[in-house]
Formats: sequence, C-alpha cells, structure tokens
Amino acid sequence: MKLGWQNWFQEKRFAAQWERAKEAARSTPMADYYDALVPTDQHLEDAPLIALDFESDGLEENAQLLEAGWVAVEGCAVKLSSARRLRIRAESKLQGSAVVIHRITDDAAAEGQSEQDVLLALLADLKGTAIIAHAAFIEQSFLNAACLRCFGVPFVGRFICTMQLEDRWFPKDRAADGLRLGKLRAQYGLPYYRAHDGLTDALACAELFLAQCARRQTENLLVEDVLMRA
Amino acid sequence: MEVDEVVLFLGRHAPFDALSADVISALARRVEVRYFPREAMIIDADKENHALGIVRSGAVELRLGGTELNHRLGEGGVFGYPSLLHHERTRNQVIAHEDSLIYQLPKTDFLKLLDDHEALSGFFAKDEAERLRLAVEGLRQSGQSHGEAAMIAVKLGSLMRRNEVVTASPGDSIREAAKLMTRADVSTLPLTDQGRLLGIITDKDLRRRVLGQDVPLDEPVSRVMTQDPITMSLEDDLLSAMLIMSQHNIHHLPIVNDTDEIVGVISSSDLLNRFGMNALQVVAEIEAAGDAAAVASAARRVDAVLAHLIESGVDADHVARFVSNIGEATHRQLLKLGEQQLGPPPVPYALVVFGSLARQEQAGGSDQDNGFILDDGYDEQAHGAYFERLATFLCDGLNSAGYIYCPGNIMATNDKWRQPLAVWKERYRDWIDRPDPENVLNTTIFFDMRCVAGKEELVDSLREQIFAWSSANRIFLSFIARAAAHTKVPLGFFRNFLLQHDEKEGDVLDLKHQAIAPVVDIARVYALALGLSEVNSEERLKKAAELDELSEEAVSDIVDSFEFIRSVRFRHQSEQIRQGTAPTNNLSPALLSRFEREHLKDAFRVIRDHMDIVSRKYAGNIQ
Repeated sequence: MKLGWQNWFQEKRFAAQWERAKEAARSTPMADYYDALVPTDQHLEDAPLIALDFESDGLEENAQLLEAGWVAVEGCAVKLSSARRLRIRAESKLQGSAVVIHRITDDAAAEGQSEQDVLLALLADLKGTAIIAHAAFIEQSFLNAACLRCFGVPFVGRFICTMQLEDRWFPKDRAADGLRLGKLRAQYGLPYYRAHDGLTDALACAELFLAQCARRQTENLLVEDVLMRA
Repeated sequence: MEVDEVVLFLGRHAPFDALSADVISALARRVEVRYFPREAMIIDADKENHALGIVRSGAVELRLGGTELNHRLGEGGVFGYPSLLHHERTRNQVIAHEDSLIYQLPKTDFLKLLDDHEALSGFFAKDEAERLRLAVEGLRQSGQSHGEAAMIAVKLGSLMRRNEVVTASPGDSIREAAKLMTRADVSTLPLTDQGRLLGIITDKDLRRRVLGQDVPLDEPVSRVMTQDPITMSLEDDLLSAMLIMSQHNIHHLPIVNDTDEIVGVISSSDLLNRFGMNALQVVAEIEAAGDAAAVASAARRVDAVLAHLIESGVDADHVARFVSNIGEATHRQLLKLGEQQLGPPPVPYALVVFGSLARQEQAGGSDQDNGFILDDGYDEQAHGAYFERLATFLCDGLNSAGYIYCPGNIMATNDKWRQPLAVWKERYRDWIDRPDPENVLNTTIFFDMRCVAGKEELVDSLREQIFAWSSANRIFLSFIARAAAHTKVPLGFFRNFLLQHDEKEGDVLDLKHQAIAPVVDIARVYALALGLSEVNSEERLKKAAELDELSEEAVSDIVDSFEFIRSVRFRHQSEQIRQGTAPTNNLSPALLSRFEREHLKDAFRVIRDHMDIVSRKYAGNIQ
C-alpha cells in the first residue's frame, strides 16, 4: 500500500521526534530503547509486536499508573511465554471510580514495584517493536508522561491502535460505544473475558488485532499499513 | 503471574482439568494463540505438525483425508495429536468451521506434558471411537463396582428406620408380648434387660413354639424366645446381612450399636425391597393382576424398578429390556383381562406395538404406540364393536398404568390403526411406493413393530411383505436415509452451554430425539435395506455387520455410543425418580458431569459420522 502525503509527512515528523528523543536519552536508562526501531516497510508477520495495556486511576496524562500488562505477538501468534503483568507501587491515594472498574485496591497496588522499575522492564521488551493497544493514544500518553517523570526523556514509539484500525478498515455506522474492545471482540467471535487487569486486556487486544488482520484478507501486510495515524 | 483467562479455560476442559494448578499455569505460558477466520486451513493433510490445537472459541472441522468424513470440535475441543504422538505426517485436514481462536501447544511441550503426566495419555488414545470405548468400559466397571458397592458398602445403619425400637422384658408374659407386638404392629420383638439384648421372639415363634405346643400364655416369654440371637452392628454391610440370613434361614436380624444396645431389627423383606430382583416381581404381579386397576398399580412400579436397576449398576441395554418386559406384560395382561370381560375375539387378531417398546428399548416416561392387525376374515358390521371396545379397554388401561395416550393418536382405538391385514399392507405399500419427506418422517415409527399378544403370524406376514417392498425400492430407502440424516446431532450444544449465554439458560438437551433417535434411525435404514427381521437396534446393527454391510468395528462404535447415551439418560431418569419427579428425556446440561459431557461429545461424533455414512450410502440416488 502506498503512503499518502499525509503519512509521508507523519513519518517525517516521527523521524524527527525519534531523533530528538534519542538524543535526550543519551546516557539515561532509556538510551538502550532508542537503539532499535521497527522499520515501517517490514512484513507484519516478521515484525516484533507487543500488545500493551496500562491500568491507571484515571485517564488524564498525569494519572497514577497501577499496572502494566503486555504480551508479544510474533508471526501472527500471541506468545503467552512473553506475557508480563507488573503492578506499580502507588505514590498517591487512589481515586475512587477507577478502583471499582479495575478492582485494584490500595493494598494490592501497594505490593507493586516502583514505576521506574516497571518502566525499565517494559522498555526492554518494547525495544524495536510496534506497540498494539486499544485506543493506543492513551497508552502513548501514559508512556510518555511516565518516561518524562522517571527519566526526563519523552517516549517515542510506533503504535498500532486496534480501535482506529477497525474504523479505518471496516468503516460503518456504529453505536456510540460500538468501538469498545469487548463489543468488537464479540463481533469477531472472540471469547468474553471477565477480568480487566492489564495483561488480560493486552491479550484481548492482541487477539482482536489478529482477528482484524485475518478479516482484512490482505496478503503481505506491512507495518506501515497498520500503524496508528494522526 | 498467570495468564488468568487461559489458565481458567484450560482448567475447565479435559484433559487439562486433571492437572494441578501449577502445571496448568506453566502450561498456559507455553501456549501460542492464533485466530483463524471461517474456512481457513488450520492444519493441512500430509504435513509436518508442530502443535496440539485447542479450540478456545469458535469451531473447527476435522476432515479425514480423501473422504467426506468429518468431525466437528467446539470450544475445548482438542485436535492434531495423533500426528504428534506417532511422529507421523498429518492425516486430517483441520479447517475453521467458524471464526476461531485457537490455542497451540508446541509439540515438544505437548510430548513433555504426556511424559510427565501419565493420566493424560488415556485421553489422547488414538481417536474418539477408542476414547468412547474406554469410557464405556470404565463406566461399566464403575457401574458394576458401584452395584457391588451398593451391596458391600451399604451399611446396615443406613437402612434402619429411625423410629424407636419396641422391646419387652424376658420376664413379661407371652400374652403381654403378643399384645405389644399387635399394638406396635411388629413381627419381631427383641427382649432386653436394661438395654442388653437377651433374646428375640417372632410371629412365627408364637405360632410354632406357643400355639403349636400348647404353652400357656401366662408363661414368661423367655421360655419360648430365641436366646442370644445372632446380631449385627450398624457398621456391618448389607451383603453380610443377607449371607447370615440365608445361611441360618432367619428373616430378622437385631441390630446393636457398639455398646450392645439394640437399635433396630432388619427383616429380609427390608433387604429384598431394596435390592431384590423386583423387575421380575413386578412382571409377576402384573401377570397375577385380576383387574385393570391392579395391573396399573403394579405397572406403575416400573419407575422404582428402573431406579433400582440403575443403582445396582445394570447396563442400559438390560435396563431397557427389563423396562420393556414390564411394558409388554402390561399390554398382554390388559388384553387378557379385556378378552375375559368381552368374551373371546370373533376373528384372530394381533396386538402390534411400535417404536421403543417394539425395539425393547423402552425407558421411563414412555407413551403408548399400538394397533390391532385383524385377520382378513374381519367383518366391520359383525366384529367392529368388539374390537373397538377391546381397544378402548386396552388403551385406557395403559393410560392408567402410566403409558399415556399417544399424542399422535397411534393407538388401536383409532380406526386407522385397527384394520385387517390387507389394509395394513396397503398402507405400508403406499408409504413405500409413494414416499415424500413429510410422510417418511411420520411413518418411520411403523417400521419398528412387534407382536406382543394375539396371532403372531399376522405381524410376521406384514413384516415380510414390508421388507420385500422396502429392500427393493431404492427411492424409498433414500427417503428413509435422508430422514435419518435429518436429525441434528447436537454437537454444537456443549459449546453453547459452555459459553453460558444467559439467554440460553432454559436450554435442555433432548437425549431421546437428538441422540438416541439417530442411532435408531441408522439401525432402521440397515434393517429396511437388508430386509432384517430384527427390531432391536443393536441386533439390527449386528445383523447388518454379519451381512458385511457394516464393519464389526463400526457396529461396536455405534453400539458403545448408544449404550453410553442411554446410560446417561437412565442415570438421570433414576435421579429424577429418586427425587420424586416424573422421568423425562430432557437433561439440563448443568446436571451433566464433566465425564458425561466429554463422552457425550465423543458419542455424538460417532453417531454423526455414521449418519453421514448412511446418508451417502443410501440417500445418494434421490435426484
């Protein structure tokens, strides 16, 4: 698929951001992450991908991250051996509503590791991959804010948004909540998952992505075909 | 850290459910998840296979190389293991039947799992048919040991009625003792001193040792009692009690607790009521019944017989034959009583039954299906009223006996099914020569028929004629075969159930129509195609194998499936009877054990395969 001029422009801008962040990361713990970047013209089947989901106490950029869950997708398969779920130690009291949704209590959150340690583990796995998430701009902004918080370095990376992909590949009129993860999964015949921890949601998102690619029925999809667009 | 959803899923499905939580957790981490849209090839035939497949959601179809044979697997279904186990290339294609999410366990992990956990190897026995045979075998054994266990392990304590024991003192007079026995309505009186059992006296003792010997009634009862009777404890088991009784020819056993205090008396009839061969008793009672009401009250005990036979570990085929025997006896005795009341029949006739009773495959909760085949000397004017009244007597009697009126009105009371032989022949000829799908579905039941009373030659003559016509008429056969293939074996049922859609909560599995009827249909197709006189499904299939129309192996697969499904039905019916509800064929899937569910799936697969075979064999030349 040929990139339009908008995408070409976006890729230019991405390259500039990447270089700036790479520069800023020099001699920080994030330097290693900026050593590798997945090429946009790589076949999707060969590209290392990571499905990622954060649990947080809110949706604002400065929300407290409670948990990160991720799992690798390689060669159109979710590799459960790579699955990680790390709790993040709470720095401030939780806000009420999100706690109910995710059933993470102050006590459980307190068992976690520091945000910095979790980020380091995550960044090691994210290196050289594209990140799959549902409503990926949220994960993007969380990651960026957390990296700035911990290392003073912005986070730049390639994102695949399953929500955007659905709308782009299979546009149609939908209910207001028609693009929610659970709804879309049900449409693809994917099982209902009760839990909403970071890892389950990451797995749920990874499976949805596989289903979307299968339904798209396009041979030789490239990374650039699925990347989130501005 | 666990991949919760995957761990939960594996833990719910055989064979992984047999593994410990730790093992499942580690196993889940070896899994790779793939998505296959409908029609996508998951495994191709004649290829290297690298992974065990587990259906997480959706459904897949296994297609046997070069044939149309296929198995469908729903959620929790496991595939691709024969090639892994035997290090061969794949023989089957596996295609996504629906959009499916598949877990794949790499070959090395799978083989290591089998090495580490021998318990799993039974599950991966070569194919479904074999798995089923193992299951039936296991069931039979556990059934038998359960039956014996019922005898061996049942403690006398569990049989005791809990009311207070009536006792007297050895110093009491014989008169007082006898009066006490009358008042308390007991036939046995233990005689105790401060709770300690010293002797026992029975009705029989009063007759033989008192009245027969002219012993004065004022004498103390100790003079005629049996001293230091044999006792048993609450902890002793039933079988020992029966042995003691038969050895010493005694009919009452005092039961004492561990401090030697008497707590009750068990009589041989208590034991027989629970464990005797009461199927035979019921038949004998029916045959001795003097009127329709007595027939009905005896026949209504069929439920208790069924529950008892199941409890004693009798296999489904025998249970069905016992239950059928009771049904037959009921028909025969009612007819006999009817003839006594109305006088001898003016022309010879036969009572013919259709369906499960004809096949000797009756279960609980059956309705009646019957007709009269009258001799061709029948004259409507002269004889019509007699047979109409006889039919009414029979069908009313059956209804009171628990064989409810046939909802489809297939009863001798219906003019249509009370006709001379020639008319019956004409009717069958019409079905066979001018089959149409509607007709065929409604008439299959008539091809399972048996004479239970009257002039058997009438039924034989009809049957011979039917088979001569049917086996020669390929078009008719193709319709019958099509009707047989029409039933939907509920392979997808368990998937729906496991998804536990709330709106499906009222769903039940109808074993009779969805699983038993297809086997009966398959057997009937062979019977009609080969002109077999057998009516029982198992006998029909075995005969078909003798004639090389079916392999021995195929027959044993079908028969095993049939036995398994019927045993599940019977066990649930016996449960219903125990709980005091009428036995039905509908099972709430929630009542099925995991074992039953797994093996019902196997049985359904076997049946579906054979439906396909029958349909290809006989339904082909229809257009």
